[in-house]
Order: sequence, then structure tokens, then C-alpha cells
Amino acid sequence: MQRSRYSRRAVLAASVAALSLVATACGSDEPADAGGPVTLTMSAWSMKTTPEFAELAEAFQARNPEVKIEFKEYDATNYDTQLTADLAAGSAPDLYVLKNLKNFITYQAGEQLLDVSDVAGGLGDEVNGLGNYKVDGVTYAVPYRQDSWYLYYNKDLFTAAGVTPPSGAWTWAEYEKAVADLAAGLKAAGSPAKAAYQHVWQSTVQGLALAQTPGADLGSGDYGYLAPYYERALAQQKAGVQVDFGTATTTTLQYQAQFGTQQAATMLMGSWYVATLVAQQKKGDAQAFQWGFAPAPQRDASGKDKPVTFGDPTGLGVNAAIDEGKTAAAKEFLAFVAGEDGAKALASIGITPATLTEPVVQAYFGVDGVPGDELSRFSFATHDTRAENPVSPQTAALQNILQETHSAIMSESTPVGEALAKAGERARSEVLESR
Amino acid sequence: MSTTTVGGPPGTGADRTKRWYRARRSLQGVSFVLPNFLGFGLLTLGPVVALFYISFTNWNVFGKAKWIGLDNFTRLFGDAGFHRALLNTLYYSAFHIPLTLAVSLGLALLLNRKLRGVAFFRTAAFFPYVTSIVAIAIAWNLLFSRDAGPINQILGLVGVDDPPGWTASSDWAMPAVIIVGVWREMGYYMLLFLAGLQTVPPELHEAARIDGANAWARFRNVTLPCLRPTTFFVTVMLTIGSFKVFDLILVMTNGGPGQSTLVLSQYIYQKGLVENRFGYASAISVVLFALCMLVTVVQFAVNRRRNA
Repeated sequence: MQRSRYSRRAVLAASVAALSLVATACGSDEPADAGGPVTLTMSAWSMKTTPEFAELAEAFQARNPEVKIEFKEYDATNYDTQLTADLAAGSAPDLYVLKNLKNFITYQAGEQLLDVSDVAGGLGDEVNGLGNYKVDGVTYAVPYRQDSWYLYYNKDLFTAAGVTPPSGAWTWAEYEKAVADLAAGLKAAGSPAKAAYQHVWQSTVQGLALAQTPGADLGSGDYGYLAPYYERALAQQKAGVQVDFGTATTTTLQYQAQFGTQQAATMLMGSWYVATLVAQQKKGDAQAFQWGFAPAPQRDASGKDKPVTFGDPTGLGVNAAIDEGKTAAAKEFLAFVAGEDGAKALASIGITPATLTEPVVQAYFGVDGVPGDELSRFSFATHDTRAENPVSPQTAALQNILQETHSAIMSESTPVGEALAKAGERARSEVLESR
Repeated sequence: MSTTTVGGPPGTGADRTKRWYRARRSLQGVSFVLPNFLGFGLLTLGPVVALFYISFTNWNVFGKAKWIGLDNFTRLFGDAGFHRALLNTLYYSAFHIPLTLAVSLGLALLLNRKLRGVAFFRTAAFFPYVTSIVAIAIAWNLLFSRDAGPINQILGLVGVDDPPGWTASSDWAMPAVIIVGVWREMGYYMLLFLAGLQTVPPELHEAARIDGANAWARFRNVTLPCLRPTTFFVTVMLTIGSFKVFDLILVMTNGGPGQSTLVLSQYIYQKGLVENRFGYASAISVVLFALCMLVTVVQFAVNRRRNA
């Protein structure tokens, strides 16, 4: 019988080498030396098209050269799923972004976030959305950006249609009239553009309804407050002043293309679209035209001085499993991103930061391509932004039900009243009373 | 190496050598199977066992799972969303299985002849199966578009005044998904039937022809009985595949409009990965597993009775 080609000694040596390699690989979690250089890892997504992460890291490192920020990139669509898996496996980064409010409670209740109340305490009152991260008096994350929804409008198409641009205090009734006038004016001018584009997301209807209706509560199981907003949207769809929901879903319409290639004169969308449109116009992906943004139409004249809109903050939290030696640096980074300096860095690339002070506003409107008119400035600096996803363990499940309700109504499969009554019934039986 | 005598008296050196020889052969066999079995155990068996355990718990992935007994299962009885997903899954399966079976068998019979360009047509029929499901969904959504889609335009040309809304209509979304599902999978099952058709002895057809049997009679009395093992395999695979349908529906309709195309797999995804209710999602997975198991066992029993 032939003897093995490998001696026992060789096998033993190989095993020791393999074990030592594994042990070396685990060595990156070693505690940082006090006062020495610190490397913090942070979650991110789509870094090529989302410059905010690198911008914040560079701006912070310029002031704190002893701290290095390294990124762990996740898939943008499956961000929460992948991050959850990493947190459960103990391989998540030291700092992680809370992409939306819907999942914040999962991380907080799962004890995956460090108490950062001391950081929150040192921040000024002008940080929008900070309260969303407070549970039982303890703050678990800080917001660094706070998007809110505006009404984008194409100034050239308004001129072509002979319609007066938004005043900044439009009510929904005034908006409806303007859209009807735009449709007629654009048709008369021979323009193929529609008066409005409403994207297929539930937010486009439900977000503003929840924010603007007094007493509206996502967790109440009563969704009657959505009715006037849906009736308006359906009326516009039926009148043909905007692309209908069925066409938008079956042809997978992109809202960027609808507004950016002048196929719609107005569009309700989040503030992140400002940076996108500026970049697309520079690259030629969007056409060159005059545009601006106005506050979202209001329920009544009471929102004139401080328009009510909606949007979720994007926050940053510290992994509860972070090495103690890195905690101070991590908290320092949190204070930076939520503070004025971090806000200025974000504003300088067209991102809407959570902190809105005068220097931040100046930095934002100093970006080449951002419309600098008074109405756009007012819309950016003055608004009351309410959360689309109020922090609750039930929000994700309720939003699922409301998403299905949205498609049932907008596809005209179910009448508004019937769909909303059914949504309430489902919310109570599947979520509110069953847990 | 010394030679051994087989069949020596027990307890002798020859017997010990024989046992050692057998043990060595077994070890060699196990060493071949072990890597694959380890992978199966770690990546399939382990998670399945864990799934059964998690289905009896309340767990949001972080921390310890809380044992709640049968609560998740009893809750399913009153869950309207689960009922709807279950009914939709049965609806999809009830149409998708026979339609795919009929179309793929028809295609196989058609392309089993010695025709010019038959290889091209076989490839063309198989092509949808290897195409990206996202691309398929987007292309079919465009075809199904209510106003601008070519399907409704053709229907308009042939006199249909009120064409269906397809994926934008709660009544027509499921038929649309079924059509695409059948179209996508027919090529794969056609290939299996083509392989099955090669096993049909030509002399049986010849004998039937001499006896005066027409084409239908030959198909019914010769081809179909000979194809029974293939048909059984295809039916079992189609059944399991239909009960587990997920990606096509997710991309085409995302379960909508409303809940009109919400199926069990998507409901599991919603409860588990969107709402972080892993215990509840696992309970639904167990029900789906039991359903697949039940239908498959029934199919095996029926098949065994037929073969008896």
C-alpha cells in the first residue's frame, strides 16, 4: 500500500498555519490605544452615486487627523436586511446609518444601539428630527440629514402655459386649479408635457395627508384622513393631467426622467431630488431648463408662514458592540455630522442636512445649479417637517397594509372609502390588536 | 500488498482482513460523500431544523427567541392577509400547473418531429427559462400596459372594446402573472418531455398504427402511458415550484394591486424581512412546507396506485 505523500508533521504545520491566519484575521477588533490613532468603520450604500458618506468622513478627518473612517458598503435596496444580518452575526461596523425611521425601533429594541444622549445633549435646538431617536428619555442616534417634500416646478413650462408660478402659500384647492390651467395652457401651446407627475410611491399621497391632517395618527387604525388626498389624486388621474398609476407602474416610469426631461410641469418629491437634478443637468442626463421648488400645497392658509410637510431623518448610531476604546471618537463623529460643520459639508454638495442655520443655508445655495430664488430659499429654510414613519414597533406592518391600499386605490381596483375601511380593519386585526 | 482469502473461518486472520477491507471501503465512500453532506447539513438541514424551532418562538433576530408554543400557528387562523396569500397561491397553482403541463407537452410533441430548424425552435422555447426574471417582468409589464401595450392594441384590433387592465387591475393581475409564468417555464418542462419522448419505443407506435389506431388514439394509449414517469416528475416539480412562486410576482406586481397577487412566499418575506417577525414568518414557512409535502405525498400515492 502506498504511504501518504504528506507526513503527519507537515499536516500539523499546515493546521497551525491555518489557525494562526484565522487568529490574525480576527485581530482587527483589538482595542484602540487611548489617544492613539483610531479607525472607525461605518456603513454606507451606493457610494459612487451617494457622495454624502465620503464628504462627511473627509470633512471630519480634516479636523481630526487621528481618526480614520473606513466604509463598509451595502446594497442600497437591501440595506436594512444586510445590516440586520451583520448586527446579528456581530460583524456590523462601529457606526451605522439609520436609513429610515421604520427600522430604527428594531435596532433600538434589539439593544444594538449605544446610548448617545450625551451627544444629543450637546447639540443645538436647530437639529431637526432629533426627537425621533429618543426612547424613554434616552437618545440612540442623531440625524445628519432631514429630507422634506417640496413641489418642484418647471418655470419654462409655466411661462409657456401662461400660468402664474407657485406663490409659496398654495392650498390644495389652488394647486388643483393651477394644474388644470397648466394642462389647458400646455395643450394650447402645443406642448406634450403633462401638468403634473405623481410617482407611484404611497408617500406621494399618504405622507402629506398624515402630516397635514390635524389628529391624523398612523397607529389609530382610522385612515379616513387619507380620503380627500386620494380623491384629489384620482380626479387628476381621471382628468388626464398626469400619467395614471397603471401606466406609471407597468412602464416603470422614473420620476427623474419625468421632470428632468420636461414631461411634467410640476412634481411633488423629496428634497434629495435637488442634488440629483443639479447633477443630471450638469451631466446632460436632464435637459437644461429653469426650475425651482416651492412648499408642498397646504391644507389651508394656516400653513402659509411655516408650511407643513413630511420626511424622515437619516440618522447615525453607534453599534452597541463597539470597542470601548473607540467610543469617544465615534461620539465625536456623531456630534460632528449632526452639528453645523457637518451640515455645511453636506449642504455644499446639495444635500439637505438636519441642522439648518444661516451659514448652512448660504452653503446650500452656493452650490452651482441650485435655484437661488426667494421661494426656493424659503422652502428650504422654513418648514415644519413631520415624520412619515412615526417611531413604533407597529409602523412597518401598518405601512405594508397602507402600501397595498395605495395600489388598490390608485389602480382604481377598489373605491376609496371601501379600501380605507378595509385598511383600518386589517390594521386592527393583523397589527394593532394581535400583538 | 498481500492477497486475502475470502470466506475463511470466523476469528481467523483472513476474517479480520476482510472486515478491515470492508471498513476501509466504507470510509472511502464516506470521505467522498462527506464534503457534500457537510455542505448540505450546514446550509440546508441546519436552517430547516432551525426554522421549525423558530416557528414556535417570538423572535426579531436580535437576542434570544422567546418560546410561545403554538401561538404563531393559532394566529394564522385569524390572519386575513395569510388567508388571502394562501388562496392566491392556490389560485396560481391551480392554473399554472395544468397550463404549463399542457403547453410544455404540446411543445415537446411538436418539436419531437424531424422538422427543418427544429433545433432553433427548441432553443427559442427554452430561452425564456434562462433569461433574467427582472428583464422578463419588465418586458411583459410593457406588453401588458393598459393603454399603450401591444397586447391590448391587438385586442382592440380584433374588436375587444374594453380590454383588460392586466397588471393594473385586481381581477386581471393574477391571470397576467400566470401567463408569464407558463411562458417562462414551458421551455424547461418541454425539454424534460422531449427526453421522455425518446424513451417511447417506436415499435409500439408501429403496432398501434398497424392495428388502425389514429393519431389521438396512439397519443392516448401509447405516448401518454409511456410518458407517465416523466409526467409524474414534471407534475411534482411544477407543484412545488408553483407553491413557492416569488420572484416573478415580486417584480411584476409586488403582490398588487392591493393584495390581488400576494402569495405565501411574499407574505413570508414581508413578515420576516420587512417587519422583522421571524417567528411568525417561520410559522408561515412551516405551513407552506406542510402544504408542499401534503400535495407531493398525495401525488406519490396516486402514482403508486396507478402503477400497481
